[in-house]
Amino acid sequence: MHPLPLSRAPRAALLALVGLLALPACSDDEPNTPDAGQPDSGTPTDAGTDAGTGDGGTGGEVDPANWPQDFSCEGKEQATLTFNPGEEQELQDAVNSLAECTTIQLGAGTFQFDNAVTIRANGITVKGAGKGAQGEATGGEASTVLDFSNAAANTNGLDVVGKLFTVTDLTVWNAKKDGMRIESSSNVYIQRVRTEWSRENLESNGKYGIYPVKSTYVLVEDCEAYNAADAGIYVGQTLHTIVRRNVAQKNVAGIEIENTKFAHVTHNVATDNTTGLVVFDLPGNPIRGTDIYVAHNTITGNNRPNFASVEASSSTVSQVPAGTGTFILASRRVEFEHNTWGDNNTVDIAILSGLAIEADPVQWAPGFFNYASGDIFIHDNTFTGGSGGRVDNGTPDPERRPLGALVGAVYAYGAAAQGSTGVEHVLWDGIDPAPRNEGLSNPINICVTGNTLPGGTQAALVDFDLQAVSGHILSPEQNVAAAWAETRRYEQGAEPYNCSGFTPALTFR
Amino acid sequence: MHKPFIPGLGLAAVLLTAALASCSGDEDGTPPEADAGVTERDSGLPPEDSGTPDAGDAGEDAGTPDAGADAGTPDAGEVFPPATLSGFGLFTGTPASGGLRPVEGNIPYTLTTPLFSDYSVKTRTLFIPPDTSARYSASEVLDLPVGTIITKTFAFPADLRVPEENVRVIETRVLVRRPGGWEAFPYFWNEAQTEATLANGGRVVRDVRFIGEDGVERRLDYLVPSKNQCLKCHHVQDAQENQVLIPIGVKARYLNRDHDYGGEALNQLQHLANLGRLTGLPPLDSVPRAPDAFNPEEASLEHRARTYLDINCAHCHNPRATSGNTSRLFLNIENTDAFTLGVCKRPGSAGGGVGGEFDIVPGSHSTSILWYRLDTEESGKMMPELGRALRHNQASRLIADWIDAMPPQSCK
Repeated sequence: MHPLPLSRAPRAALLALVGLLALPACSDDEPNTPDAGQPDSGTPTDAGTDAGTGDGGTGGEVDPANWPQDFSCEGKEQATLTFNPGEEQELQDAVNSLAECTTIQLGAGTFQFDNAVTIRANGITVKGAGKGAQGEATGGEASTVLDFSNAAANTNGLDVVGKLFTVTDLTVWNAKKDGMRIESSSNVYIQRVRTEWSRENLESNGKYGIYPVKSTYVLVEDCEAYNAADAGIYVGQTLHTIVRRNVAQKNVAGIEIENTKFAHVTHNVATDNTTGLVVFDLPGNPIRGTDIYVAHNTITGNNRPNFASVEASSSTVSQVPAGTGTFILASRRVEFEHNTWGDNNTVDIAILSGLAIEADPVQWAPGFFNYASGDIFIHDNTFTGGSGGRVDNGTPDPERRPLGALVGAVYAYGAAAQGSTGVEHVLWDGIDPAPRNEGLSNPINICVTGNTLPGGTQAALVDFDLQAVSGHILSPEQNVAAAWAETRRYEQGAEPYNCSGFTPALTFR
Repeated sequence: MHKPFIPGLGLAAVLLTAALASCSGDEDGTPPEADAGVTERDSGLPPEDSGTPDAGDAGEDAGTPDAGADAGTPDAGEVFPPATLSGFGLFTGTPASGGLRPVEGNIPYTLTTPLFSDYSVKTRTLFIPPDTSARYSASEVLDLPVGTIITKTFAFPADLRVPEENVRVIETRVLVRRPGGWEAFPYFWNEAQTEATLANGGRVVRDVRFIGEDGVERRLDYLVPSKNQCLKCHHVQDAQENQVLIPIGVKARYLNRDHDYGGEALNQLQHLANLGRLTGLPPLDSVPRAPDAFNPEEASLEHRARTYLDINCAHCHNPRATSGNTSRLFLNIENTDAFTLGVCKRPGSAGGGVGGEFDIVPGSHSTSILWYRLDTEESGKMMPELGRALRHNQASRLIADWIDAMPPQSCK
């Protein structure tokens, strides 16, 4: 792989071409030398194929029992310490002098903490009596709630660095920052836990519910996450993860897979968030995300107004328009099958370039210029309809959520003048491989085939050509009709998006 | 002579003996074994400890009632870590009896610019075992020998304008250089101010009140960090990205100032060298010095602002710390790259409502995230992550002035 795809492009020219959300971009009426500045990634033949080979894993990889471990408790003393509500200080003292391979057994009921539970040891297990149900602020006879409502400012709930860490059957309630932050760890098993904040739609809620980051071999299963001001379940910068059978609701983003390699995301329910299930790389991060398998998930009704979208925000999700079922950004080798989308007001699936949120390619240098999305295979899913008819819930905000405002403006025109019934199920921003080259057909290898669509569906996918559209919309002589004319619609099965995936195919499914 | 003096040096000798024992067949100076940065096997007796005669402290030990009798018998004085601060024998007196007085050999010191800790008044001591010495480093933490003990005591006077009166001592943090590396222990002072006991789990002290130097009353819930939380600031990553605990302040540039030693003002580094506790100290005029960040006569605005960021932020925001590595924001004094210093840099994930889109917008502190997070008192947004609940007014002004003095630049 050529590490510097932009090296042949004069940077200033490229910046001008891709600086679309920044300000008046050029329209594509301007002369465009077909080959000038053409990055060498993203052509149909080589899109993304540099990634995902080698240790892509085998079928056995989706069984955590087969995961390799670089730490083991076998043959070591394994003590169990039991604590009940009222023994919080004793628990804290013990947690800070743990022998490795200790199990912390928490009794049923409610623990009141004034500080994070900070674990820095290997082979630790934390077990409660059960995670209870959504809305339960206190533990019952068969549930354990760790209540951080009165904890010191700026502290997380569970804060863990360690190898071979397991947490099961408990709830983290009202953490000041992240509910469960597990960082730089390996062999992490998060099972049957709930993270929740008591109040809905509060920007001051903690950012992340379940947050394993910079880790390897992470399992998140049968968990629930509610009311996070950023992401309910957030697997970041991780190698090898399984995220399955979880429920994420009332968050800004339900489930996020960020800068992660080899993710198996199945049988989750992401509803009633601002955006349901998202896959992206962030600029400036050295891990180039790839090989993401997303199947059997329900991603419906994600229309919650974006409560992270306040003044002076810098986060990615704060820019997401309400009603975005799924977005894929700066990601490659992503396969979706047997999922259900519907009733997402903006769009079911958006495929975006990283340049749509960070137009300066230099910012993407640490991840080897990983802004381009590519090799996206969407097949055998069910789209139930009711999506795309009310972009950003009809409340556009060009400052805070510029992409939604652009899409909304174009489709408002489309509805009024062109008979459009709304945004198609899959929206591609048409940016990669930047700068746009009209001579290329399906340059980043997006395949949309075999999906069940609502009756009467005409186009399934739109090539939005965001760069050209923004040129028309943001120019002083705003021309929405010209913007609409830049967008192109494709029925399912039509060329060139009727391809059948990418090579090599994902090996873990 | 007060009794606590003796067990303390006894402990130091034990540590030293253990070091020699562990060094005999092994390399020294290597980081702790590659686990998750955990200070392992710290409960109970270190194996080396039991039965080790108090070799090396016979001189000081003579005269204690139980000297010799306890050789090989672990008693309170030799359990590591001791259950009480007095078990270290590093101080005489208590806050209740007129104040903690460092014993001979436990050397008080101050920093040219300290870390801000909610206006608490902090006193520091450095104990380097007899017959050992630290090695000078121009830029890094002094290379301190096994057996070194660093203490920092946090206190709140009722009124900062009369800091000697009505002082409530809250905690003493102890950093110990052991054969396997540094370990950190929090000791929490009782209400009677007669003893501090080991509080591995940390403590929260509700509603601490004091009157600031500006005459304004302030209140906060004070967090005594847990033992594991010490690592959040006090670490570097080794090659395997494990966190290894290290001290922060004992760098030459922060120690390079005078201190009053019994009526005589002496440069702290020179004093250590004179005592034989520091080797390799070059002539003082070639030793770097971090200025007092709030004294305009000592250095330029730029140098003072960078110094404040260095001592307050760079323990995390440097390329060798976990969170610095993630954020790619490097505020260590050595960093000369404007971008990773934050100029027109978008944070990886600063979240919503943090003052702006870029860490530093030159010429505009009010839209710079770096200033916002240092200024705000909102949980989840303020920095540093631990150890601050209140705004440091002087620092907020300093960093604002520094950003505003940069040639204006649009980051869009």
